[in-house]
Amino acid sequence: MLIPRKYQSIAVAAVLLIVSLTILSYSAVRLSETGFLRKVVLEMAAPIERAINISLQGLHDVWKRYLFLVGLEEENRQLRRESALREERLNQYREGYLEGMRLRGLLALREGFPYRTVAARVIDSDRSSLFKTLLINKGTSDGLRVGLAVLSAQGVVGRIIETSWHASRVLLMIDENSNIDALIQRSRAQGILQGAGAAGGNLKYISRTEEVLPGDVVLSSGLSGVFPKGLLLGTVTAVSRKEGGLFQKIDVAPAVDFGKLEEVLAVITEAGPGR
Amino acid sequence: MIYYLLLPVLLLMLVIAQIAVLDIFTLGWISMEISLIVVIYAGFHLDALRGGILSLVLGFFLDCLTSAIFGLYQFLYCLIFFLSMVVAGRVYAGNPALIAAFTALCTILEGLVIVLLYRFLFGADILAALLRIFIPQALVLALLSPLVFRFFDRFEGLLHAEDTRPARRV
Repeated sequence: MLIPRKYQSIAVAAVLLIVSLTILSYSAVRLSETGFLRKVVLEMAAPIERAINISLQGLHDVWKRYLFLVGLEEENRQLRRESALREERLNQYREGYLEGMRLRGLLALREGFPYRTVAARVIDSDRSSLFKTLLINKGTSDGLRVGLAVLSAQGVVGRIIETSWHASRVLLMIDENSNIDALIQRSRAQGILQGAGAAGGNLKYISRTEEVLPGDVVLSSGLSGVFPKGLLLGTVTAVSRKEGGLFQKIDVAPAVDFGKLEEVLAVITEAGPGR
Repeated sequence: MIYYLLLPVLLLMLVIAQIAVLDIFTLGWISMEISLIVVIYAGFHLDALRGGILSLVLGFFLDCLTSAIFGLYQFLYCLIFFLSMVVAGRVYAGNPALIAAFTALCTILEGLVIVLLYRFLFGADILAALLRIFIPQALVLALLSPLVFRFFDRFEGLLHAEDTRPARRV
């Protein structure tokens, strides 16, 4: 080789630097021209750059879509929360409306009633055991006492059998221990309505000679002094006259749906009898 | 021979990746000039001819694909390559701190040369760009250079792993 090994690096460096400087100087003078090699490189690089940019744009779009979906999920969660809240509020309003309607019914009953009444809320119901009773949230501090009649907008519920200061237990008219003096509205025939559990009640001591028909309305007669006269007890569902017997067997369906009772009225009479 | 055939393709890919992909990570704020680290690595590991051609080709591609004056990067990369060669003969190239410091120095040198060239050729005063662009770029490249050097060392090791020929007697 012409150049000694020791100076080869310097020679290469010198050549390359001179070449690059020459190119630089030439380009600086003739800026506007694009050289052939440069055009070739641009031609080669352009599709690759385009492909990379398309891929990156795709990734960018996916990322943006992901961010959008994350935002959407959050928004969805927020809307669900708001919807649940609104549903809850709507439910409260609906409950309030229904309560208002029931109370209006009770109020209507109260207004046409010559006795003082105390409205109470049903706080417990025990209709499955031997005794069919309700627990209400008013007691002796509200003027309630044992023996008072309890009504709803539909009719007679029963009578109070236990009281404390702020709660009372009501024996339902369908309990087997319940006996209410009753009369049939159409024929005025009098008897005693005894509770019969789930079957409702039986109207006893009605003579075979009395004409009683299914659908006849049964009212309280007011004889014992517990229940004021004329309160709705129920309607006759079935009548049977057995051979040889003195009285008819009359089945009565109670007017009140005890499964749906929420508010009741306790009727405060002047001197109610004891238990 | 394969080196000279593969070199342009690989370097073109590197430059395209650098321009199209890496700049996204810095949001165009600074340029992730990995090609400069490649030139410095070549200065530390390759002979004058191979490294010189690599620097020239790399500079050429960068000149083609950026809006710089044609020949600017060819000149700069040749200059930095030979500077690296000179430094490589005097220091231990395995020290990451030294690599990082030298890379930062070369980046600032590159910036200075560009500022001076623009000043002399076009009368443009872009000194502010040195502070705004080249100093942050020097810091980023200084941090990246030990990693890139390690990557190239591994790559080189893989290339030579299957070369079982006995060493030539010099």
